[in-house]
Amino acid sequence: MLIPNLITQEWKKSYRAQGFYKNLAVNIMLGFFVLYIAVVLLFLGFSLNEILEKVDNKLNPMELFNGGMLYFMFGGLVIRFLMQQLNTLNLPPYQVLPIKRSTLINFLLLKPLASPGNYFLLLVVIPFAIKSVVGYYSGMVALRFVLGFIFLIWFNSLMAAFLKRKFGPGLLSFISLVLVAVALGVLEYFKVFSLFELSKSLYGFIVLKPYGLVVSLMFVGVAYALNRWFFSQNYYPENFNRKIKGDKVVTANLSFLNRFGLIGELIGLELKLILRHKRTKSILYMSVIFLFYGLMFYTRKDYATMNGMLFFVAMFMTGTLMLMFGQWIISWDSSHFDSLMTKNIPVSTYVNANYYLLLAFNLISFTLTTPYFLFGPKIIYMHLAAFVFNIGVNIYLLLFFATYNTRKLDLSKTSAMNYQGTTYKNFLFVLPILFVPMAIVGIISTFASMNAALCTLASLGFVGLLLRKQLINLCVDQFNKRKYTMAEGFREGEA
Amino acid sequence: MIQVTDLQKAYNGVTVLNIPGIHIPQGESFGLVGNNGAGKTTFFRLILDLIEANSGEVRIDDQQVKRNDTWKTMTGSFLDEGFLIDFLTTEEYFNFVGKLHAKSEGDIALFLESMKDFFNDEILGSKKLIRDFSKGNQKKIGIAAALIGDPKILILDEPFTALDPSSQIRLKRFLADLQTRFNMTMLISSHDLNHVTEVCKRIVVLEKGKIVKDLQTGEDTLKELEAYFAV
Repeated sequence: MLIPNLITQEWKKSYRAQGFYKNLAVNIMLGFFVLYIAVVLLFLGFSLNEILEKVDNKLNPMELFNGGMLYFMFGGLVIRFLMQQLNTLNLPPYQVLPIKRSTLINFLLLKPLASPGNYFLLLVVIPFAIKSVVGYYSGMVALRFVLGFIFLIWFNSLMAAFLKRKFGPGLLSFISLVLVAVALGVLEYFKVFSLFELSKSLYGFIVLKPYGLVVSLMFVGVAYALNRWFFSQNYYPENFNRKIKGDKVVTANLSFLNRFGLIGELIGLELKLILRHKRTKSILYMSVIFLFYGLMFYTRKDYATMNGMLFFVAMFMTGTLMLMFGQWIISWDSSHFDSLMTKNIPVSTYVNANYYLLLAFNLISFTLTTPYFLFGPKIIYMHLAAFVFNIGVNIYLLLFFATYNTRKLDLSKTSAMNYQGTTYKNFLFVLPILFVPMAIVGIISTFASMNAALCTLASLGFVGLLLRKQLINLCVDQFNKRKYTMAEGFREGEA
Repeated sequence: MIQVTDLQKAYNGVTVLNIPGIHIPQGESFGLVGNNGAGKTTFFRLILDLIEANSGEVRIDDQQVKRNDTWKTMTGSFLDEGFLIDFLTTEEYFNFVGKLHAKSEGDIALFLESMKDFFNDEILGSKKLIRDFSKGNQKKIGIAAALIGDPKILILDEPFTALDPSSQIRLKRFLADLQTRFNMTMLISSHDLNHVTEVCKRIVVLEKGKIVKDLQTGEDTLKELEAYFAV
């Protein structure tokens, strides 16, 4: 009676959020993406039987699959810990209404289980069960196999939520989880302790014995009980909404920036912004991961001749910080945009500060990627050309087109799968920035040579550097033109 | 000091502000009253060049505000929380704004000392970020930051709401003091007729974007306003 009410209210919350319809284009693109993944998974599901049959002669496909279950559980926990948003029904408005507390908590805990994203992997599991398990065993076993998998998903979802609530989403708890996962892998590798064997016999038992599923359900029950225990310990929302108070102030010493006057102050402000918000911090972590992108491509022979692709990797790595932050360069300030516009900051100073920030980002990522120079002269030339192109061309493109982002950004959420504030405009200007240079290199290197291609892009970059003043003025004019639209958009906010 | 001519602003064809002309001389304390939607905030935003007028212009010190940076050096303003930088601590924020006006650390410390009474020991010295302060204290922070650059013009949107009674009285005294000592031009909007008639020498009533009354504050002003707004 009450639960359906709560569900409709949650639903209303999402589709009455401003921008739900405005964001249709993005939603459609994401929709296609999801559809694509679904098709891939289905395909995998139907061919998994054949794949696994080739892997091992002694074990049948289901036994192999069962052996992976616990790995899936640990891996899933790590990923969920990182990505899964805690379901935060906004409790206070409901708390004062005559609704039983346990109803609210049940809703809070169980609602995420209804999220379709959880069951995506069933697209693999169900076809596999029908094709393989029914064949090797029986329909009954296949059914238990699928149910066992669903219970595993429930367990993961509940357990991840509990761990996240209990230990906080901090870096430390994430690292400890990763360490546990790595330790298990190492033990398996050195044959000290085989999680695979354990998983195989445990899930063999669960799937083959008629009452085996009870064990699986018990796991779910324990995870559920842990969550209930947590809420009984922490009665008030202020106790479990840690993020409200938990943010420690990073007071990095940025006083060296004082020497650069006003521009230095503004850059310092921007750095504080990056260090004190979840979304920006997680972009920072992601950028670090992207620095290793080259290892995937430069080491492989099959990519050695794909010049366009290689240049894309070089450009992406040497400019990773700029490309990640630059596409939102003004929107980061959306919550205090009015402040910056009315305080004693000339517009050209503001634009220049953003320019120097991006320039510094480029210098940092370029320096961090210099170890790749060990891969030989071709990589060196490529990185240099990419660097010059980034600071001579892309930097202005970002400064210019970022003025079309008029959505307020919510910085308090992590950025994994966070598309808040993304509109089709982002794709419109980011995709060309990423892929046009790649195409240019591809074309010129096919018809002339790689060196010719790199020279062309580097020259474009140098021209941009020489015309710095004029191009920045162009960006200032653009900013002045778009200022009112941006200010209005940022003020509107978005739920 | 502030000259407004033919100022018009419309959203989707509906005129929300239409001021044929108004002049605010230096040192005047200018009070703006009106019901919700009368156009008070729109008027302030137009003065601060945060929205673009459909026609007409605002001049500060005989320079157009539109696409100009000069007025920023002499204007202090606080309209809402968007005028704060909420991920900074108060000290960092005051330092930042102070630096924008080329103040030294010593100047800033001196300024904060002079604010001590107004802050009532609740603002400084904690490592709290501005976003974690209460609405009332955020307002105090915003008003103080507006004053840090010794502005000639001070623009405040409903400065009294969300303040506790003592702070309201302190703020009134404080504004009167600024007025007499620095001859500061002040634009203050308020829903509280008592406060605004106490602080301002001139009261303008807006209704549906139009100026319907322009009064020099006298003994009967409060009564006149109360009569006007009575339902």
